[in-house]
Amino acid sequence: MSTQKRRNFQIEAFKHRVVVDPKYAEKTWKILEHAIHEIYNHNASGLSFEELYRNAYNMVLHKFGDKLYSGLVTTMTLHLKEISQSIEAAQGGLFLEELNREWTDHNKALQMIRDILMYMDRTFIPSTHKTPVHELGLNLWMDNILHSSKTQTRLLNTLLELVLRERTGEVINRGLMRNIIKMLMDLGSSVYQEDFEKPFLGVSANFYSVESQQFIECCDCGDYLKKAERRLNEEMERVTHYLDAKSEAKITNVVEKEMIANHMQRLVHMEKSGLVNMLIDDKYEDLGRMYSLFRRVPNGLSTIRDVMTSHIRETGKQLVTDPERLRDPVDFVQRLWDEKDKHDKIISLAFNNDKTFQNALNSSFEYFINLNPRSPEFISLFVDDKLRKGLKGVSEEDVEIVLDKVMMLFRYLQEKDVFEKYYKQHLAKRLLSGKTNSDDAERSLIVKLKTECGYQFTSKLEGMFTDMKTSQDTMQGFYASQVVDTGDNPTLAVQVLTMGSWPTQPSVSCNFPAEIRWVCEKFRTYYLGTHTGRRLSWQTNMGTADLKATFGKGQKHELNVSTYQMCILMLFNNGDGLSYKEIEQATEIPAVDLKRCLQSLACVKGKNVLRKEPMSKDIGEDDAFFFNDKFTSKFYKVKIGTVVAQKESEPEKQETRQRVEEDRKPQIEAAIVRIMKSRRLLDHNNIVTEVTKQLQSRFLPNPVLIKKRIESLIEREFLERDKVDRKLYRYLA
Amino acid sequence: MGIQRDRVRFNVGGKIFETSATTLANAGRDSMFGSMLDENWNLQSRETDEYFIDRNPACFSVLLDLLRTGELHIPAKIPEKLIYREALYYGLLDNVRTAKWGQFDGNRLTLAGSITGQAPGDGTAIRAGPLGGCCVAHGSMVHVYDWMLEEHSPIYLDYQRINDVGWIDSENIVVSACERLGRGDGGMGLFSSSTGDLRYKFQVSHENQVKSFTAGAMSFSSDYRIFASCKGRSNEYGIGVWDQVTGKQSDFFYESPDWSLGDADRLQWLQNSNCLLVATLFPRKDNCYISLLDFRVKRMVWSWSDIGAPITVHEKRVRDAIAMEETNSICLVNEYEDLGFMDLRRTGGGVKWSSRRRLMKGKMPDEPCYPKLALHGGQLFSSMNDSISVFCGSDWVLTSRLRRSYGGSICDFSIGGDRLFALHSEENVFDIWETPPPPLI
Repeated sequence: MSTQKRRNFQIEAFKHRVVVDPKYAEKTWKILEHAIHEIYNHNASGLSFEELYRNAYNMVLHKFGDKLYSGLVTTMTLHLKEISQSIEAAQGGLFLEELNREWTDHNKALQMIRDILMYMDRTFIPSTHKTPVHELGLNLWMDNILHSSKTQTRLLNTLLELVLRERTGEVINRGLMRNIIKMLMDLGSSVYQEDFEKPFLGVSANFYSVESQQFIECCDCGDYLKKAERRLNEEMERVTHYLDAKSEAKITNVVEKEMIANHMQRLVHMEKSGLVNMLIDDKYEDLGRMYSLFRRVPNGLSTIRDVMTSHIRETGKQLVTDPERLRDPVDFVQRLWDEKDKHDKIISLAFNNDKTFQNALNSSFEYFINLNPRSPEFISLFVDDKLRKGLKGVSEEDVEIVLDKVMMLFRYLQEKDVFEKYYKQHLAKRLLSGKTNSDDAERSLIVKLKTECGYQFTSKLEGMFTDMKTSQDTMQGFYASQVVDTGDNPTLAVQVLTMGSWPTQPSVSCNFPAEIRWVCEKFRTYYLGTHTGRRLSWQTNMGTADLKATFGKGQKHELNVSTYQMCILMLFNNGDGLSYKEIEQATEIPAVDLKRCLQSLACVKGKNVLRKEPMSKDIGEDDAFFFNDKFTSKFYKVKIGTVVAQKESEPEKQETRQRVEEDRKPQIEAAIVRIMKSRRLLDHNNIVTEVTKQLQSRFLPNPVLIKKRIESLIEREFLERDKVDRKLYRYLA
Repeated sequence: MGIQRDRVRFNVGGKIFETSATTLANAGRDSMFGSMLDENWNLQSRETDEYFIDRNPACFSVLLDLLRTGELHIPAKIPEKLIYREALYYGLLDNVRTAKWGQFDGNRLTLAGSITGQAPGDGTAIRAGPLGGCCVAHGSMVHVYDWMLEEHSPIYLDYQRINDVGWIDSENIVVSACERLGRGDGGMGLFSSSTGDLRYKFQVSHENQVKSFTAGAMSFSSDYRIFASCKGRSNEYGIGVWDQVTGKQSDFFYESPDWSLGDADRLQWLQNSNCLLVATLFPRKDNCYISLLDFRVKRMVWSWSDIGAPITVHEKRVRDAIAMEETNSICLVNEYEDLGFMDLRRTGGGVKWSSRRRLMKGKMPDEPCYPKLALHGGQLFSSMNDSISVFCGSDWVLTSRLRRSYGGSICDFSIGGDRLFALHSEENVFDIWETPPPPLI
């Protein structure tokens, strides 16, 4: 350093000799000191900037930088002490204004002093590692004014009181507030934090702790949330008006903690106005407010979600277990559907379409829908109802919406294979009776099922549609081959159903009347002639027949009846009265079906083409039946239904259940074999887990069932138990 | 007061100058003119309408011209230093520096000057500072020069042999030096560039014990980290990492037995890939080891060595390496100044050499120096003997050659602050190359 300075000095010597006047430094400093006084006294107009600048330069140049610097510190401190006194003397409300005015003045003075001492600031200060002039001015302000014992607490109390007054609704001078806060920030972020922010947050926490306690005692949940939201917004507004932007997160945190987090449970469970009531009454606005406030605090959303979940589960459980509801499957499903719509709407309007809420909703539905073992049947019945009549005159898009909702409910089912069983039965009925309303809708639903559950799930359903189509072609071929005019012979329409695709029951064939037997034989000959190696068996329990009948007064009617009924009625061509036993003998229809048929032919008002003796509702083994020639009807065509419950009877239900269980066995076995083939060696619990995982898209296998299947596989030597560890199974290739 | 007249009249040392307030505004608020014309100092109308300034009028004229045009033209009769001193008085030194030379372009460089130092022995390294200054390491001393090429107080760290130097900013220089046996001195220190004072000593701890060490090559990252190759006493070799702000050691990457990190000749921080290039080269080791370290995963993510490579002349003698992030490659140079390139995206690829030996003409100097590489603004620089070659474009075509007959071979060079500094080995002299200001039209 010294060599460099010496060189500078030599160049200076070119122009004029510096006479080392011992009083030189003192004199020069007096001039500068005077200027600083004048600047602080607002009297700078008489000063010559150039002269002062040159004097400061000369002092530094002649190595009096230290004197200049320490003189500056002393002089400035002196002035700041005076200022401090005048600020302390300010009365009441004038305190902040006085402080603000003096701060503005000090800043201006500081700028001017720095202007004069710029050369020192550039050269002397960096090389001696001293504090630059501007920073020095701020530090001295802080030490002499802000941290003087009287001002420090007074300033803090004044600021906090103003904030409190604003919170209680008074209007305060925000501009002044902003200036003072800005002063603290200019002095450094740590000054702002220590001298204002920390106490401010503490006082705020107390304020909101007390206020929230008051609110919660006297407000209902909705009102409380409104108040909390308003307070939150007020604090954010305060930050934008006069606080440091970094304070926003901190103060909102305080409000959130005091007003929301601390009262969360009480708010949610508030009697008559809590979350459950809001959900029941569809209070979208309140729910939305609760969501946006609670999401700000830890565990807030999970609190809402948990209450919502248990509420949906509870109401859902009531719905599906209410015996009243089990009477009408369509209404049952419609109610599920409405429940889902209601909560979907709440989630989309109030809960911001939150994924976690949607998941909670779905899992709740899954939970309670499966509480009722008949849900798969009911959903299938609902679809059946829609496809039979519900979708008439409905636009294509609306059909899609209905089908999508059906699929949505379908997804909740754990026992999808049970649904499949029922769906197959219902579809078969629809197809065979020609009741299906829209082929497009049927196919569209099957496509959806296929995308959801895979090809396997729908292959048989699709097979049913194919059968219907081929049957049509077969019938055309059959009639084209019959050259002879059939004349009075009955017209036969056969649907050839592939074994296995259809829900056929082991059919007990009945005796056809001779006319029918004749055409059936002709068809059999034709069909077996064109297709070799097949076997035809008649599913008499699924067919229908149209009969032309003439009654007592010559009134002609066309009767639409089932195959069994046709067989019965044809008997009356040969005699007017027959006993139950005679009918049973002649037709060999199974007793249950026979009773049902007779019931529908003799006991239904307006359709009683037979007369029964004695007259009663039920069919007895000793009853006798007569042709009812007094039968009348407004319609030419009379449809005689079979008395069947739309829903399954208890034994039928058992049967379906049993068949489902039977079908599950090979699926479970297949899954076990697949898993063991790849793993070779696995313990019992892991097999159960893996099997459950593989099959859960179709049904939830019972662990006991899995165990039985494993035992069966061991018996058949697909697996063996490990000789050492009996819990381990080994795959035997 | 009132409407400020744009015209301003100065009486500088008796000579009258007239100019406009807008011209003076080019000086900026943080200058004497900025303060002088600020309304704080002009609240009352002035008695005389001219400002008196007790300074040299000839220099004022040059500086006023600088404010008017942005160009610096110093008449031959005025020493440059006089202009600098006056500029410092007015607070215009930054304006002078930015007008003195133009934006760096390797193909437009002209020799701006040469400085002869008084240090004995060979130079170790020269490093350009951010504002146009430089520092030169010789033996155990570092000589620091500001952009006016005035020498400041020299730096030394316990008079240990210095291995590398680097600028943290225009005020601070880091020096890495050999360990002094038994005294725990040496290592790495932070020094003031203006006074040469030691401000901070970086320490290395192994298992919570502070150990003395020898620091080698250094590199600095833009997220304020310092990397240095380190050698400890108990085989604690590797790369140390320090925080520039706190000065604390933040990481240490230990070298594995079959690789070399602690002896590395060159470290280069790669901003985009967040990795450090570490290269140990001949003759420090018999073999050459180049690797990329990723400190986030504590792993060597790319490496290359000539161990086991067929003994061809090229690859056995790699003398310097530099990573080029734009092209995802590493450029190597061998002792015949052949350039080689490697793909950074896959490990295990070979080197593609482009032979330039036939381009080399002239006789070998008495004392040859190993080639060195530098990359700046998409241009590649390679020093060889007494000249520096500039390569451009995607194929790295040789476009310029900087050569000066005086001083002997170039042992190191450095680019920064829009200047290129080249240190010669024989005469203890360094050259300053800079790009002239852009042409008038």
